[in-house]
Amino acid sequence: MSPTPVQQLGNKPPDGGWGWMVVFGAHISIGFAYSTPKALSIFFKEIQKDLLVSYSDIAWISSIMLAAMYAGGPVSSALVNRFGSRPVVMLGGLMCGVSMVTASFGDSIIYLYFCIGVIGGFGLSFNLNASLTIISKYFLARRPLANGLAMAGSPVFLCFLAPLNQYLQDKYGWRGSLLILGALMLNCCVAGALMRPVRMTLKQSYPPQKKLEEQPDKHITRIKGTCMENAKKFLDLTFFKDRGFVIYLIGNIMFIFGAYAPIVFLSAYAVSRGVEEYSAAYLLSIMGFVDMFVRPGTGLIANSKWIRPRVQYFFSFAMVFNGTCHLLCPLTTSYALLVVYAIFFGVGFGMVFALIFECLMDLMGNQRFPSAVGLVTIIECFPMLLGPPAAGLLVDVYGDYKYLFFMCGAVIVTGGLFLFVMNIYNYHMLGKEKAAMDTEQKQNNIDNQEQVSISEEEMQQIPEAAMERTNPEA
Amino acid sequence: MPFSWKHQFFHIFLLLVSCRHIKTKTPGPTPPPLAPISPLPTADRSVVFKGESHTEKLEVLNPVSLTLECVWAGNHPKLPNITGFWKKDGEAIENSHLTVQLENDQYLIKRVFNIVNEESLGSYSCIFGNEAKVDFLLAAPHIAEVRDKPIVSYVGDSVVIPCKMEEPKPKPNTWKWYKDNGTAKEQIFAAGKLDRFEIKNENGYTKLTVHNLTEADSGLYYCGAVYAIATTMSHVKLKVISIQEPLKPFIAIMVEVIILVTAILLYERSQSKKNSTAGNDVNTDQSHIQVQEENSLEENSSMRQRKI
Repeated sequence: MSPTPVQQLGNKPPDGGWGWMVVFGAHISIGFAYSTPKALSIFFKEIQKDLLVSYSDIAWISSIMLAAMYAGGPVSSALVNRFGSRPVVMLGGLMCGVSMVTASFGDSIIYLYFCIGVIGGFGLSFNLNASLTIISKYFLARRPLANGLAMAGSPVFLCFLAPLNQYLQDKYGWRGSLLILGALMLNCCVAGALMRPVRMTLKQSYPPQKKLEEQPDKHITRIKGTCMENAKKFLDLTFFKDRGFVIYLIGNIMFIFGAYAPIVFLSAYAVSRGVEEYSAAYLLSIMGFVDMFVRPGTGLIANSKWIRPRVQYFFSFAMVFNGTCHLLCPLTTSYALLVVYAIFFGVGFGMVFALIFECLMDLMGNQRFPSAVGLVTIIECFPMLLGPPAAGLLVDVYGDYKYLFFMCGAVIVTGGLFLFVMNIYNYHMLGKEKAAMDTEQKQNNIDNQEQVSISEEEMQQIPEAAMERTNPEA
Repeated sequence: MPFSWKHQFFHIFLLLVSCRHIKTKTPGPTPPPLAPISPLPTADRSVVFKGESHTEKLEVLNPVSLTLECVWAGNHPKLPNITGFWKKDGEAIENSHLTVQLENDQYLIKRVFNIVNEESLGSYSCIFGNEAKVDFLLAAPHIAEVRDKPIVSYVGDSVVIPCKMEEPKPKPNTWKWYKDNGTAKEQIFAAGKLDRFEIKNENGYTKLTVHNLTEADSGLYYCGAVYAIATTMSHVKLKVISIQEPLKPFIAIMVEVIILVTAILLYERSQSKKNSTAGNDVNTDQSHIQVQEENSLEENSSMRQRKI
């Protein structure tokens, strides 16, 4: 690929400065995205009474919302690729706000499915996807830390939304609460406003300006072409040819399958062990609280010089840790031990989620990440929806919760080990490929240098660094 | 007082004897009509205790002739006689004092009570001597609290207020709903289809639906589980508010969002103006288009930032 003038614009992410405001915005956005489906369940009992439906009908609202949030990934990616993160997050925030407000006037369960489930879910997916993308644009050196801080939004917001929802329900009933919640979700628009598109800093000074001003005309016509390509990229299946991507995907599917069931059944398990209901609910709060601090902490650790190059292995370690926790859970015999389990669970869960998107960014790189994450989330939809019911089935069949924990733990540990082994293989293969490509590129460079030296009078010196950047890095 | 024919004839005889001279056309005072004697079902409850204070809860559904028996076996002063009597709701029942003999190393006292209406329910105690006693708490099945927080609903909306008798407890014959209108409880009748109130009764639970709520509908609602012996009540508080209430915080938050978004965008505009006067940066729109360009051109390169 011959270098074009455009590529001489520095592509160095700011790694700080306004980036931290962007992280704050992403924190809010991601926080709403993950915590809203869970926090809404507080209203279900009331809605169930007023709309005269059964509990399982109501529980569908959460499932539809989560499914839409994950399934909306590709749509979100396409929009982010076309328009950038800011408009998408603002649109997402607006959709969420509208969804809650319209839901507050609802009279039938189908109406709620559509408003909260579909519209709300898609709004959240826009939020999630676009927030992750802009972090990858703003950060490189400090990206794991930025990711950890942004993903910490999920437990923070859950911790904050759950009692708030309870208070709102007592004061205004479920309709008024949904109305106010809609207004709160409009704050995602504020988060979106913070997500300034990344400024490109010119590495060249004035003379080339003329060339750059000409280029926009060419580029605008080219963009129409890329628009069509973007549409095709809606569900870009070429990703499946990427070894690293497939490995990541398989490991992730296994994790998501086993990740949520223990959360759903933890209180019930504790109650079955003789713990009273209030203390059992407290376990989840402990887990969330620990999670809140573990995510940025993991980001910090992953950022360190020693771990950063090996972040994929760190991710596998986190998964194995999480899985082992679940495998050991049935050994907890007293409430104190359950609390210890909840703490370790929080640590494991936080570590995995802090790294889950960081690893994808590490694998895919800045440019391909938006599409990749869209594809990953829509595929993750299935294990996420199947996991808890499958676990519930185990509980019904065997009448004992320990098999649930064994299953979840086993699946997650297997996923972690799979990732570990396959990553070693992948790096090994990539090393080989890089060696082969380097020799090839050296040949090409020699040819190119001859061509470029002709046009060098018209342009400023081409920094070697920019040249190397065009080469595929291993 | 137990009624007996012997007593009545005696009264009449006395009257005839003393009123010989009275010529009456009526054949003397007519005997008071007998209350129809439908025999009450009987039940009994016996408690054996060792002198410690004991409480027994009894659920009564229908009128019953209840025999309560207290047996003090163990830890008692070995007196040949001891006084025993009964109390209802803390007050001694007249003519219930007895002298109890020590038989088989036990003191036994029993009494038959006719539990026929709500007044008969309450706390009955048998007391030996001065200290040893057993309390029998007679009550109709109690409804578990529906909810301690008020139900909130909106003007013009409908609300459903449920009331349930928990599973192991016996189901009531029917349910009644009352509203507290300040002074007394007023029963709610769900008359016809046009009525605002709708009561749906099923064996174990009841639902009161109120349509077209107004603010006047706020207040305490009582659901009564009707048993033959008495009606037990439970209450729920209903709060009806207008749509304005949640609208205020809603609008406040919307205003906050608009202010923040505008502030952030204005700040950004002023920053970019500052920068463009310095002339180093490209217009954000252009840079965005160019970023797009980069994206599409560098599609094929796989960039794994393994090393920083």
